[in-house]
Amino acid sequence: MPLSLRIFVITFACLLTLITIRMLVKQKIPAKYSLIWLTISIIILLVGAVPNFVTSISKILGFEVMSNMIIGIILVLMVFITMALTVMIANQKKKTTLLIQELSILQKKVEDLEKK
Amino acid sequence: MEKKKILLIIPAYNEEENILNTYQSIINYNKKNKTNYDCIVINDGSTDHTSQICHENHIPVIDLVHNLGIGGAVQTGYKYAYENHYEIAVQLDGDGQHDVNYVQKIIEPILSNESDMVIGSRFIEQIDTFQSTRARRVGIRMISNLIKLVTGKRIMDTTSGFRAVNKEIISLFQESYPLEYPEPLTTTELLKRKYKVKEVSVEMNEREGGVSSIRRWKSIYYMVNVILSLMIIGLRRYPKCR
Repeated sequence: MPLSLRIFVITFACLLTLITIRMLVKQKIPAKYSLIWLTISIIILLVGAVPNFVTSISKILGFEVMSNMIIGIILVLMVFITMALTVMIANQKKKTTLLIQELSILQKKVEDLEKK
Repeated sequence: MEKKKILLIIPAYNEEENILNTYQSIINYNKKNKTNYDCIVINDGSTDHTSQICHENHIPVIDLVHNLGIGGAVQTGYKYAYENHYEIAVQLDGDGQHDVNYVQKIIEPILSNESDMVIGSRFIEQIDTFQSTRARRVGIRMISNLIKLVTGKRIMDTTSGFRAVNKEIISLFQESYPLEYPEPLTTTELLKRKYKVKEVSVEMNEREGGVSSIRRWKSIYYMVNVILSLMIIGLRRYPKCR
């Protein structure tokens, strides 16, 4: 792995970590959701820090080039993250629907009471 | 026979032109036939004067604080019916498509405990008699066949939004109701749960409208979604209720 690429990978990992921590500090995401991103940045950091280790793993698993394994892992990970997000959005939609309905019914009740 | 509490649920989205007429037709009908139909307009976040017109004319209305789409709006009506102990709920579109004069015919099988849900259908014998585009007839026939495959029962007008349900179904619907494509999906679900669903023929005032290419894609999207959802319902195992 050329040095320039390693520097890029490590910088990227650090940046990802920093962004995640920043979001945590600013309370944009709860700790629960940050875990996946912190784990990912650690993995990327490992790739940049000890490429030989990662290369040997990819050889053992039968990948011709190390980068193929990385891209493969990221792809699988992304698919699952997106699926989890779809489920989350569906749940959010259920909740907002219920909220809108109950709030609107309540508003009607209050209006009726005010008229009396 | 004592009178049952009956609620007409009227979902309305931007219906400022029709909503007052619909309401007045119900009031007139009640006067003429000494019936006691209550009604509730569910204003689904209209951007026109629907809400204003309802309030000015003392039409009972629930203003949804945000647009939910037809499924969410109608379910609000069922929740309202449930909370206020209505024994029969009838869905009636606010756009003038559905005629209040047919309500009696639709609730008749429920009053006699013959059915749990009754669908007011534009056609109950032959789809071919239905005046519509060929594509639409083919689509409706496909959904109808799929429902037959999944439940063993034949429903002709699968997309009719003119329907009446009894108390048990009100309680079921207020609990869970599909947000999208509610008509064919709920019908199928009820049939799978062994509830009795009946169709009675009604006439509807069809809305005018051409088929643009955008709508064509939309209806293909609609078909794919409905077919998928119906097949999923087919896979589900429901607890026996009957």
